[in-house]
Order: sequence, then structure tokens, then C-alpha cells
Amino acid sequence: MSTDDKPERTPAEEPEFGSQLGGQPDDAIDVDPLATPPGEAADEAAFGRGEGVGDSKEVEGLSQGQIVWSRFIRHKGAMGGMIVLGLVALLSLTSMGAFGIPGWWRIQNFNSSGNVINGAAPTLKLWPFTLGEHPFGQDDIGRDNFALVMKGIQTSLLVMVVLGIIALLIGVAVGALSGYYRGKIDTALMRFTDLVITLPVIVMGAVLGKLINTLPDKMGWSYDVTQAIRDNLPLLLAIMLGLVLWTGLARLVRSEFLTLREREFVDAARVAGASDWRIISKHILPNAVGVIIVNTTLMMAAAVTLEAALSFLGFGVKAPNVSLGMLISQYQGAFATRPWLFWWPGLFIILIALSINFIGDGLRDAFDPRTKRIPSQRQMNKAMAQILNDNTEKAGAAK
Amino acid sequence: MTSEATNNGKPDKAKSNEGGSPDLTTAVRLSKTLGGEVNRGDVILKVRDLSVNFWVNNGWFTAADKLSYDLKAGEVLAIVGESGSGKTQSAMSLIGLLPKNGRASGSAKLKDTELIGMSINQLQHIRGNEISVIFQEPMTALNPVYTVGFQIVETLRTHFVMAPSQAKKRAIELMTLVEIPDPIDSFDKFPHQLSGGQRQRIMIAQALACDPKLLIADEPTTALDVTVQGEILKLMRELRERVTAAIILITHDMGVVADMADRIVVMKDGQVVEHGTSDEIFNRPEHPYTRQLLDSVPHLGSVTAEEELPAARLTLVSEGEQAGVPLEAGDPSVTPAMLMEDVAIEYPKQGRRPAFRAAHHINLRVDPGDVVGLVGESGSGKTTIGRAAVALLPVAEGKLTINGRDVTSAKPSELKPFRKEVGIVFQDPGSSLNPRLPVGESIGEPILLHLGLGGSELSKRVENLLESVQLPRAMRNRYPHELSGGQRQRIGIARALALQPKLLIADEPTSALDVSVQARVLKLFQDLQAEYGFACVFISHDLAVVEMLSQRIAVMRHGYLVEVGPTKEIVSDPQHPYTQRLLSAVPVPDPAEQKRRRELRDAIIEEQHIVS
Amino acid sequence: MLRFIARRLAIAVGLLLVLSVLMYWLLDIAMDPLDDLRTSPALNRDQLIELRVLQLNLDQPWYVRYWHWLTNCFQGNFGTAWRTGQSVNSLLGGAALTSIQLVFAATVIALLLGVTIGLLSALRQYTTFDYAITFVSFVLYALPIFWVAVLLKQYLAIGVNDYLNNPVMNWPVVLGISVIAGLFWAGALGTDLKRQLIVFGGAFAITLGTLCYILLSGWILRPQIGIVGIAIIGAAAAYAVTLIFSGINNKRALYSALTTAVVGVGTYVGVQWLFYYVPMNELWLIGLLLVAIAIALLIGWLWGGPDRAVSMRGAAVVAVIMSVFVYVDRVLQGWQTYMNMSAINRRPIATIGSQTPNLGGDFWIAQLDKWTHLLLPTIALVLISFAGYTRYQRGSMLEVMNQDYIRTARAKGLSERIVIVRHALRNALLPLASIVPVDFITMIGGAVITETIFNWAGMGRMFVTSLAQSEPDPVMIYIIITGGLAMIANLVADFLYGILDPRIRVNA
Repeated sequence: MSTDDKPERTPAEEPEFGSQLGGQPDDAIDVDPLATPPGEAADEAAFGRGEGVGDSKEVEGLSQGQIVWSRFIRHKGAMGGMIVLGLVALLSLTSMGAFGIPGWWRIQNFNSSGNVINGAAPTLKLWPFTLGEHPFGQDDIGRDNFALVMKGIQTSLLVMVVLGIIALLIGVAVGALSGYYRGKIDTALMRFTDLVITLPVIVMGAVLGKLINTLPDKMGWSYDVTQAIRDNLPLLLAIMLGLVLWTGLARLVRSEFLTLREREFVDAARVAGASDWRIISKHILPNAVGVIIVNTTLMMAAAVTLEAALSFLGFGVKAPNVSLGMLISQYQGAFATRPWLFWWPGLFIILIALSINFIGDGLRDAFDPRTKRIPSQRQMNKAMAQILNDNTEKAGAAK
Repeated sequence: MTSEATNNGKPDKAKSNEGGSPDLTTAVRLSKTLGGEVNRGDVILKVRDLSVNFWVNNGWFTAADKLSYDLKAGEVLAIVGESGSGKTQSAMSLIGLLPKNGRASGSAKLKDTELIGMSINQLQHIRGNEISVIFQEPMTALNPVYTVGFQIVETLRTHFVMAPSQAKKRAIELMTLVEIPDPIDSFDKFPHQLSGGQRQRIMIAQALACDPKLLIADEPTTALDVTVQGEILKLMRELRERVTAAIILITHDMGVVADMADRIVVMKDGQVVEHGTSDEIFNRPEHPYTRQLLDSVPHLGSVTAEEELPAARLTLVSEGEQAGVPLEAGDPSVTPAMLMEDVAIEYPKQGRRPAFRAAHHINLRVDPGDVVGLVGESGSGKTTIGRAAVALLPVAEGKLTINGRDVTSAKPSELKPFRKEVGIVFQDPGSSLNPRLPVGESIGEPILLHLGLGGSELSKRVENLLESVQLPRAMRNRYPHELSGGQRQRIGIARALALQPKLLIADEPTSALDVSVQARVLKLFQDLQAEYGFACVFISHDLAVVEMLSQRIAVMRHGYLVEVGPTKEIVSDPQHPYTQRLLSAVPVPDPAEQKRRRELRDAIIEEQHIVS
Repeated sequence: MLRFIARRLAIAVGLLLVLSVLMYWLLDIAMDPLDDLRTSPALNRDQLIELRVLQLNLDQPWYVRYWHWLTNCFQGNFGTAWRTGQSVNSLLGGAALTSIQLVFAATVIALLLGVTIGLLSALRQYTTFDYAITFVSFVLYALPIFWVAVLLKQYLAIGVNDYLNNPVMNWPVVLGISVIAGLFWAGALGTDLKRQLIVFGGAFAITLGTLCYILLSGWILRPQIGIVGIAIIGAAAAYAVTLIFSGINNKRALYSALTTAVVGVGTYVGVQWLFYYVPMNELWLIGLLLVAIAIALLIGWLWGGPDRAVSMRGAAVVAVIMSVFVYVDRVLQGWQTYMNMSAINRRPIATIGSQTPNLGGDFWIAQLDKWTHLLLPTIALVLISFAGYTRYQRGSMLEVMNQDYIRTARAKGLSERIVIVRHALRNALLPLASIVPVDFITMIGGAVITETIFNWAGMGRMFVTSLAQSEPDPVMIYIIITGGLAMIANLVADFLYGILDPRIRVNA
């Protein structure tokens, strides 16, 4: 194997986004010896089950999407993640309101201060369940921590979704173009990707975060513009971070395209007269969708912590907006006196990132055709004993 | 990591074995042997009611059901069956090498030792020592990061008290025994630096290292080219004379069976359907499945055996190593479906990897309605020609005319009318259909793109095509993964024929299929060709298949066409030395005839001094 | 090979230049050096602004300033942090080294831990142990590093410091830790129920015994290992190393490892004299380590027999382990002095800075001081990134265990230990070469946060403060160094990959 300017690697070994949770064929177990399960005779009935069809019994009549979905909903971790994420999103959206609709929590102006009640301690009680005046406590000037945290979750979710979409679009476009056309386009795009990837995302993010924070004042833009920027700071920040985070996805999509474009069905489409655009969009992209979905999901998990970290450092979301990272940064000194100000935002960051990671893991297992769960030895032994038992019974009955 | 000392073993009885290879008689065997002399003809393996089960989709599935057979030292037992018949797994269960979800039950005794249910520690003394295995894929079965010499030495030093220098000496002996060229140099080579045939020889040397009593050869030649296969088979047969080991040969290739086996077990769906001597199975098969299997195998020479050769020879032979055959004169009134004039084909430059020229000076003419078989071994450039003919690869030199249209330097935009008249069937039915599209859409794509048909019109066309490849209309809504390999290949053919092309390229369309399925697909192909009358370049490594289908044969080697002529002439009287070797290497499913052909082949190999 | 390196270096330098232009431009947009003056109520505001524009050459276009900066850099002058007037060169001096030390230590620890645990997790696939490891690594992976760091600083450090001054026996905690340790080892090493029970019992007893000894004997107030401890560690290391690398049946390897351990214990006393009479420095330590390795190699060679390399390697590993513990022992001997120093005031676990200012004391005290400062930031970095390595190594190990050559190795009759260590692990480690550089970059990013929280005078904090203060020069030099490090890491990884994987021939 000769090399280009890098030693060649298989796509599976390509470095990937963030700290490499995604991509590698995890839990890959080949239950290979069985070509076709019994009864799957197809039209070669007279000739035995000759051909390697995989487990078509299980999947008969299903499109690949349906198979992936059915595997996904059987993944306990992923389902747990979906439920937790759903509940968290529901709680934050309904309590503080969204899309112009007010929420049910009595303090809708999260920045308003109030009287410090009961030493600002949380009033949440699990049994019997009561929220009380300030379920997550208050800060030193009496702001309601519950309102702040719920609003912060909304910011995190917004950043996550917007950043995900932006990075997805750029990553797929760059990866698809360089993987499909190769040659000079590939070299140019990949050099650019190398450039972006050289610096830690937090460094690039900090510079871009600083940029949107200083620009209105520096440029002396009108009050309306400045105010619009201030109000939509999380959105703008998400867009900026999307411009940084696409690189891992681009590399993965590229290597996926490099592999897929050599597949014979692409040649077949070309012989059938399909244009480049049709080949990319209709033939290759749908086959790369697993890699794309899985890694976008994992990227979104990283996005949540990245936004929080930038806000913590002071280059992200700033008042009057609220972000979980910003809350932690504000209250880190109060740890000894008001630890709840530190625990609640942290807990929700972890809950969100963890559930998305589990969802991503479930998606990867669902998309990976090689993944087959093997039951524990004990379960297999039990089933085997059952069969042996049945056989002896039958034999006994026959006598 | 280097190998490690294994000098704690109690000096066991040195194994004396007259059939064994030299040095081992003095070495101290570290692993316990089963003891006792083994002579030719002793029963060394007794298998009784051996079953293998696999846990799939929450249930136990029987992969092999109650196998029983005996095996004598020095004997070759072939286990034959198509994929999924349980032949490999039943043999792997002997040494406990089933996947995690597999279980074996029943009994298998090596001499007097029960193998089924043996503890892993005991098994480690059996594996590689008493029973060794030759695997199918020599590329993946050797560890890529260690030298082949180290891997043989490792086997030796696991089972013998041996200094590294001794082990190395013995390894080089073994490598000499399996005829590795330049064994001392090759000792330090990594697997990827050797050819496929050489790697398989290393596997054999490794398997023979400890002088085992039983050798399991799992499809040992399936991944190899036919001439290399011939050499490996020759080697294995010679070794058979020299060692007393019994051999279990697992294969789907009846030709290989005819070449090697003393006795044969035929398996289907995990059951043994027939068991007998080679003579019985080939000449007096009793079970209908065995008969069907034998009938499905294309038999080289069966088509033209009785016919007379025409007096005037039409075969063209290349002059030397670096030259192709000249262009045959054709009927000037006929426009050839494909005409290659001194064509060279290159894989374009890829980054810093330079362009690679895979075919040189090709002169080939395919007339309308003709089927031309293009044969050659892997890497000979035959697929390259097929891909160039449908403009998937650019022509670097010369002139390529398809249906009278010069496409040598056509721009992509000019290719559309040309593409309407050609079709291609790919080798791997698993890869040639888009997994995310229902097969109906795959078939309909050329119609949609060229004729602009849609809706019910398109559906009707697709359904007709499905019918013509003998598949139910309802199948158009299925996805490729729901179909069997044979069905997928029929879909591939239907797609290639969607626009009723004048020229069809068939690139090894049946080589990934089991023989019985292959037989049916080939039959279908013949019928369709008769019906539609397209010209066809049928690319295959299997001469017997090509002989069945084509009027003319073109033989490729190292990127050059070396011989072109009518099928009958080529098969019965090849001119080029390479064609002769290729033909003689094809094993035929008939022990008596194969014996005759084998002698011929060995003579040719001797005469041409070929070393793989 | 040389051409390959030269080519890659050229590309890296080119990329770095492009990166510097791009970032200078971006920073020029993002920074507003006049922000404090804009809102200033001072009467001479316009004059002040004019002055600053002149001072920073803001009247010139950014590319002119960039060129100026670049040419200065090539002459070794990296500019100034204009708000304080400090030159970047002086800022950078200690900062770069401090940061690299932190990131490097964290990477090595995370890599070792992550790979080991990932390997165990893969070998015990679909067991409770595997699920537990998977779950824990997911939780760690989801932890925001700044949150962990604040937690460590504000919670753990205070608690530990309090505890160190008043170590009391807390039975429920001690028993709990022992049970967890027992369960971990039982899950990691046990194959069947019987063995799991044995391992659980053993690990539980050892952990409980050790903890009881530490707490009840007052060890924690006077921590040291001593010659007995060194002897026990040496023997354990000799057996463990032999077991993993060559199999306990290889007597020569075992004897050379044990001999090394004995020699190590023997020299312990001599080395104490040396430490006492000769003032030490880092160079001495490295020299002593090399001597130890050389002696071990000699021992291995003498015992060697036909497999010298195996014995020598094992002995060398034992020597390194023992040297580390002799070093730890000597550092710990300064513990009481250190605790009672006025600058420390019996609160040894540091939460601020990378060293105690005006500490005084000899080389060993300085070493101890360095470690107490490194402790928390390193834990924070390791906790986050080791989860990634665990997941990656688990996946790659599972992939390799399904390869044909593993089946071949088993079919040859090799023991499971050799199959795993020699055939599987070696191949499963290869893809790490492409992962480590990426993670190294992530780690540098993590250091930005930990340095800020723990107030380290490192490059990361320099970056954050300078960016906030709109000082382009320090930020630029940070970007150049970080980018350079990333490129070197990539280059080294590719180089290693080419050496370790014979299938790859590097020809430029």
C-alpha cells in the first residue's frame, strides 16, 4: 500500500468528532454461520438455502428505515435517553414558555430579583411532592433559580438544534463534495478542514463568541440592531459554533463517500445514465445517512457542553440572556454558601448531554447491521436445556 | 513482541513418526500428545451424532444435525455442500472454534480422546498440535503485523521445547517443504508482501508445523486463482503422501473434491444426505440432491468433446510477453457491437498515486448477437475491459467503437445515447443494488432517465422485466436485503436489459453464487440471450462457464489479450502456453477424468517451469 | 522516510502560516481595544482614543500589522500584552512549559487508564461489568469539564485538606470502598462464578487491609513507603509483569523480574544516601532511571536463555515501576516538613496556581509542591477524556477479536493470554495512533478551562485573559504554539503508525 501524504487508513479508523465516541464499529459481533434461517426458501427451494441472505426472516417486508427504527426502539439506553430528554425539554418549555406562549411557572421574568426566603434554600420536596416557593432555591439577590435554570435549558436546547443543523449542512456538503469528486476539490476542502480542526474547538469558539459579543459596540451599530443581536445572542452563537464544529462530520462523510462511490450500484447508476447530482443525492447520501445521523447526534451532545463552557469562560451567552454555563460561572464562588446554585444547572447539562449520548449510541447500534446482541451465557444455557428437555420428552412420548 | 521461552515442559515422549518431517523427531513435545503410534489406515477420528446449534433471534437454530463419520489416517474426507449447509461449523466444532453463540453436542473422538466438551486448557494442547486448520482467506487469516516466519515459529514453540534458532530452522524447512520461493528471505516477510498462493502455502506450512494427526482444510483454494489452485492442490496431494495426517477437506467445488477426496460427505441444510467413497458419489449418486449438485456443475470439455475441429484454424495467438493478439478480420458489412482497436485502458491518477495501466494493446471484436467469453485470472485486466466498454473507465490509447459509435474521447455529456445501448451486470449482487431503493426503482432507473417514462407506464415496464427474469411482479417493492443472492442477480440482469441494449457486459455474474443457483441463473441468461439477441462480453474466471455460454473465447493475462478464437478450438486445442496451463488447471467433477487431466497439468507445469 | 517527514513538515508550516493570517484577521474583527474608552466619562476621551490608536497602530490596515507582527516573530520578538506592557516572551516563558506538562501528564494517564479499562470491558462484553463501565464512561463523557473542575476545587480539595489534618476511621466508607474494589476486580478478572468469588474476596480483603493500615497506623500523617513497601511492590510487579508479558510458566522471565526486584530493594538504601548527600535535579533523576533500566536489561540478559528479549523487557518494566516508587517514597519523606511550612499551613492540596510562591525548601519539597498542584487539574482532564479512550478501545478490541487471524491464533493452540496480548491488543492499539492527536488537541482545549479555574499561569489562561482584554499578540502566540503542537502530534502519530503497521509503507 503506498501512501498519499498520509498513511492510508480504513474509514473506520478515521479520527472523528470530539472525543471519538462515534463511528467505530462498537459491539460488532458477526453471527455469521447462518446464511438463511430455515423456512426462508425463496425460489431456490429445491436447492436448499444456498445463498447468504442474512436474517431475512426477521426483516421480511420491511424497508431499511423500519428495521433501523425497530432496532432503535428496542435499545434500552436510547429509549431512556429519549424519555429523559423529552421530559427535560417539556419541563423547560412549558414552565418558562416558548414561541411567545407564556409558561405555567409563576415567575416568568427570570431576571427579576425578590425577597430572599428561608435563606434562599430550595423548597423542592420529593415526598410528598411539592415545588414550594423556590424549588431550586434563590441567589443572593433573590432571583429564582428554577426560572433561571429552565430558561438556561431552553438556551441549551436552542443552541443544540441550531448548531446541529448548521454543522450538519456544512459537514455533509464538504464531505460529500470531497469524497465524491476527489482530486483537487478534495485536497482543497480537506486542507481547509485540517486548518479548522487544528485549533481546539473551544479556542475557535471563544474567538467567534468574542466576535459577536463585541461587534455591535465596536461597529457602533444602531440601537435596534444592537438590541436584536443582544436578544438573539444564543442563536447567533449557535450559528458561529456551527461554523466550527462541522469538521469531524465532514471527514466521516468524506470517508463514507469514498467507500460508497466504489460500490457497484453507483457504477450501475452511472451506466443507467444518472447525473452526478442524482448519484450523490439518490444513491450515495441515503446510504451514508446512518453515519450522518449518529455523528450529528453525538455532535449535538458536545455542543451542549461547548456552549456551556464558552458561557462559563465569558465568551458565550451573556446577560440578559441565560445559559446553564453562565449560571455555573456566576455562582462558582457561592459554592460553599449556596451549593444549589451550582448543582442544578450542572445536573441539567449532564442530563441533556447524557441522554443525547445514549440516543446516539442507540442509533449507532441500530444503523450498524453487524450489531447483534448476544444474550448472556445463562440465558442460552436455559434455552438449550429446554430444547434437550423437549427432545427427551418427545422421545419418551414416542415410546 | 518476540516469542517466549517455553522451557518448563516436562520432557514428554518424543513423538516418533516415520511419515513426519525430519527435525521434529528429536524435539521435545511440550504439549501432551494423545500417545500411541498412528499408522496409515487406523481410524483416528470417530464422529457420532455431532450437532451444532446457533443462537439466533432468540432461539436455537440447528446448523448441523447428528453427523456421524469415521476418518482414517492418511485419508482425505471431503465435506461438500453449499453455503449454509453447516459444513464448516461442524468441522470447527471439533476444536472448539465455534463463534460465541454456537454450541456443539454429540461426540467426536480423536483416537480415544473426546473432543466435544473438552476444557479450553486441554483444547489448547490439541489445537495446532494434534489437529490443525488451513483457513479459506489467506489474506485475513494471517496476522498482518507479524512476519510469516514468526507466525510459524510461534506455532512450533507453543507445542515444542525449542530454541528460537531451532524453530527458525524448522520453519524454513517447512517453508521449503511447501515450496515457498526463497524461504530464507521469505521468513522475514509480512503477509501482505506475499502473493495469495504463497500466503496459502504459509498457512499450510503452519498447519503442518507440529505434525498433526488431523488437518482441517476449510475451502483452502476458494480464494485463489485457478492456476494457483492447481498448484496448491498439487502440493497438498504430495504432502498427503508424506505425512500420515488425515485430512478433512471442506469445499463447495466438486472439481476440487474429485481431485483430492477418498471419501465424501454431502451436506444440505445441516443434514448429511449422502456419504460414500469418491467413486460411489461421483459415479453412482443416490440422493437426488447429490445428483442435482453434480448436474449443476459446469463441466469443462463437456460441450465440445465429440465434435470435430474445423480444418482451418481461426484462433489468434499473441507473439510474445508484451504483445496482444492482432485484430481478427470480420465481416465488413456488419457493424460490430463492440470494436476495440489497439486499446489501452488506465485507472486515472488518484492524488499522488500515479495512473495505472491495466490493459494494453487490446484488439477485440464482438459482432451483434455474439457471446464472447473473456477469461483470465484476478488482476489480468478482464474487468477493466468490461468497465471501459460501458465508459466507466476512459480509454487511454487506441479506438473504442460501440455499435458503430466512436466513444474513445466522448465527453460525459455525449455519452447518453451510447449508454442507452449498453448494459452491464455486475459480479457482486450484494453490492450492485442500492440497498436503500426498492428493487423496482433500481430496474426502472434507466427507463426513467433515458425514456422519461414514469407512473403506470414505468410500472408496467418494470413488471414485464421482472417477469422476463422469472421473478414475481410483486417483488418490485422489495428491498435488496430481502432477496436471495440469486434473486438479486436476476434483478441485476433485468436492470441491464431494461433498455434492450445491443451490447451487454456480464462481469462474473455468477461467481458469487452457489453452484445450483449459478446453474439456474446461467440457464436464464442463455434463454434471454436467445430471446433478445444482444451481443455479450461474458467475463469470468471459470472456463467451464464460459465454454457453456460463448461462441468465442478471449484469454487475458497481465493486461494483454494472449489468445482469441472460437470456443471449441480454444478448449480442445489451446495454442498459447498460458491458455494451456489455465485449461489444464480447471478441475472437473469426475475423479477418473480429473486424474488424467491432473497428470497432464503436472506435465505442463513441469515443462513450463512455473512457480507461483 | 526523510522525504516524507520533510514534506509533512513543509505542509504543516504552510498550514500554520495560513492559520495565523486567518486568525489575525478574525481577532482584528473580534477585538475591540477601545471598548473601555468608548464609554469612558473622561473629558479627554478623544485624546485618549487617539493615543491608543497610535500606540496600537490601529490606523493601519490589519494586514500591515500582521506583517509587522510576523516579521517581529521571526526575529524572536513575540510582541507585548499592551494593557500591562509585559512582553509576550516573558509571559510565555513558564506558561508554555506548565501547560504542556499538564496536558502531557493528563494524556498519558488517560490513555493508560482508558486503554486498560476499555480492553477489560471488551473482553467481558455483555457482562454486568461491561455495562457498568459503559454507563460510567457515558456519564463521564457527558460531564462538562468546567463543572468537574469547580467541583474538585470547591468541594473535594477542601474536604480532603480537612480530612488530612484529622484522619478518622469511617467504617461505612471504608467498607463501601472495599466492596466496590472487590466488585470491580471480580468483574474485570473473573470468568465464572467461582473465580469471581475468589477475586472478590481477595480484592476486598486487600483493599480493606490496606485502608485499615493507612488509617489506623497514622500512616496518613506520615506517609511513606519504606523498604518493606518497596519490597512488596517489587515482588508484586515482578509477578504481574511476567504474567502479562510472558506467562508465569516462563521461569527465566520470572527469575529475571524477581532478581530485578531484589536488586531494586538492595539499592534502596544506597539511593537514600545519595539523595541525602547529593543535591538532586531532574537530570539526576533521569540518569538514575536510565541506570536502573540498564541494570535490569543486564539481569534479563544474564538470565535470558533463548528468549533474552522477553526477559530483558520484563526486567526493565519492573525496574521502571520500582524506580517510580522509590521516587514517590523519597518525595513523601518530605511530607511532614511540607505540611508544616508556613506557606502551606497544613492545607496541602492546592487549588490555585501551579506552584506555591515563596515556598523555600529543597528539590524534594519543590517536587512535592509540584505534584500537589498538578493533582486536581490533572484529575479533571483525565476524568473527561479517559471515557473517550475507554469507548474507543473497547470498540477497536471487539472489532479485532472478530478478525480471522484471531481465529487462526486460537487454532494454533495459543493460550488465551497470548491471543489477546500478542495478536489482538497489538492490532487493536494501531488505530489509537490516529485518535491520540485529536484527543491531544481536545485536551489543550480542556486545559484552557482548567487553567482558568485553578488559576494556573499557563498558556490557556493567558489565552483567555488576553482574549478578554483584547490583546492580540499573546493570543496569536497561543494559537501558533497550539497549532504547532497539534501538527507535531499528528506527524508523530502518522510516523508511529508507519512504523507499527508494516502494511503501510511511507514513501513521500
